[in-house]
Amino acid sequence: MVRFKSRYLLCEVCFSERSSLPLLEDKAIYNTVRAAVNRAHGDYGSAHFNIGVMVKYLNAHTGVVLIRCRKGHYQLIWSALTFITCLENRGQRVPCFINCLHVGGTIRTCQKFLVKYNRQQLDRMLLDCKTDAEKQEVRRSILSCSLSAVREEEAYEDWSDDNEEI
Amino acid sequence: MSVFMDLNIISSNDKNRLQSIIETAAHLSYSTVAINYVIEPQQKKPEIPKPQSVSDIFDKFPIVQGKSSPIKVLNRLTIVASDASHFRPTNEYKNFDLVAVYPKTEKLFHCLYVFPHLSQAACMTFDVDIICIAVTEKQPFHFKRAPVNGAIDRGVFFEICYAAAIRDNIMRRYTISNAFVLMELCKGKNIIVSSGAERPLELRGPYDIANLGLVFSLSDGDAKAAVSTNCRSVLLHGETRATAFGVVHTMKKPQTPEKQEEETPAPKKAKIELV
Repeated sequence: MVRFKSRYLLCEVCFSERSSLPLLEDKAIYNTVRAAVNRAHGDYGSAHFNIGVMVKYLNAHTGVVLIRCRKGHYQLIWSALTFITCLENRGQRVPCFINCLHVGGTIRTCQKFLVKYNRQQLDRMLLDCKTDAEKQEVRRSILSCSLSAVREEEAYEDWSDDNEEI
Repeated sequence: MSVFMDLNIISSNDKNRLQSIIETAAHLSYSTVAINYVIEPQQKKPEIPKPQSVSDIFDKFPIVQGKSSPIKVLNRLTIVASDASHFRPTNEYKNFDLVAVYPKTEKLFHCLYVFPHLSQAACMTFDVDIICIAVTEKQPFHFKRAPVNGAIDRGVFFEICYAAAIRDNIMRRYTISNAFVLMELCKGKNIIVSSGAERPLELRGPYDIANLGLVFSLSDGDAKAAVSTNCRSVLLHGETRATAFGVVHTMKKPQTPEKQEEETPAPKKAKIELV
């Protein structure tokens, strides 16, 4: 069975000031990573970049990026990511760094990890909340994501029980 | 998830900068961080700065990502030595949790690991935990295998800092070539990789650095160990420096106020008897 296997790098772009977050664009990240791979690994790296690298998902609110690479040489591209010091976006240079959270074989595994990670982030945000209103908001979002997961599981179990009876 | 540590954060007088670096490190899931005081002694008698008390920096330490415990902050001293007389372990060294040396000459580097039964006074007192490898310049001398193996037996670790590689293109080449030379000799044992960060944007996550280890031609397991288990060994080595052969540990016992009251009547009694 011939199947192109890829590795999905789930990364987070960290800025020193949170105000620069909404400026993220997938083309900017693609160009920055291409330039970094060229600087770090030269023509060999650029050739590998051209084959399978694509920015699959970008969340401008949290700064999460999902980059797809070929399985054979994903470490080459990953090592170039660590040398990125700034993002170029429409002529503006924003200093930042890219932190890799998870490497997965499929988008689904990365998604599962991201859900768990975001839940942890909500817990951390609860500690940092200063006003009561913010605390209420965060508590409500934590409850909502955990309750819906429970409800989904119950629905799935009911559906599978029905099928077994039939 | 194993414990990750970053043992080199350059200290500065700016408290805000230190705070932001430590917060970024906690966000990247480093559970321990060491603030590095670098001194370059020019005269015969080096002045060793007293480390800032760790509780001065933060009232409440930021919590490590993925765990529920706060980040631990240690103090470390690095001596940039070009002469054997620069390194003299005095009581002031005990204020620091870790001691490192950055040898600038070949003789100093090789002297560091000569076996203690050889009667070279300088070598016997070189009681360090970490030896820093030059990162910003071409290695001025070649390493020899015998002293490097002697250091590994003693439990001393070699350190590579990656912040210079991030800042500048040319430094990147020096870092990688010096790292290669080291790896050939020590086969990837006893190596730690740390940041040497002066700003919060120069830190990188632990998995990213484990991947950088692959660029330095470390194996997969060695690269991860360089950020986690080897760093923990360095900490333990630093702790045992203050004990006797790692077995006996002394602690100052707090004097109880009752004892002080008992002491005053005794001299009074002595005076009355004399009179």
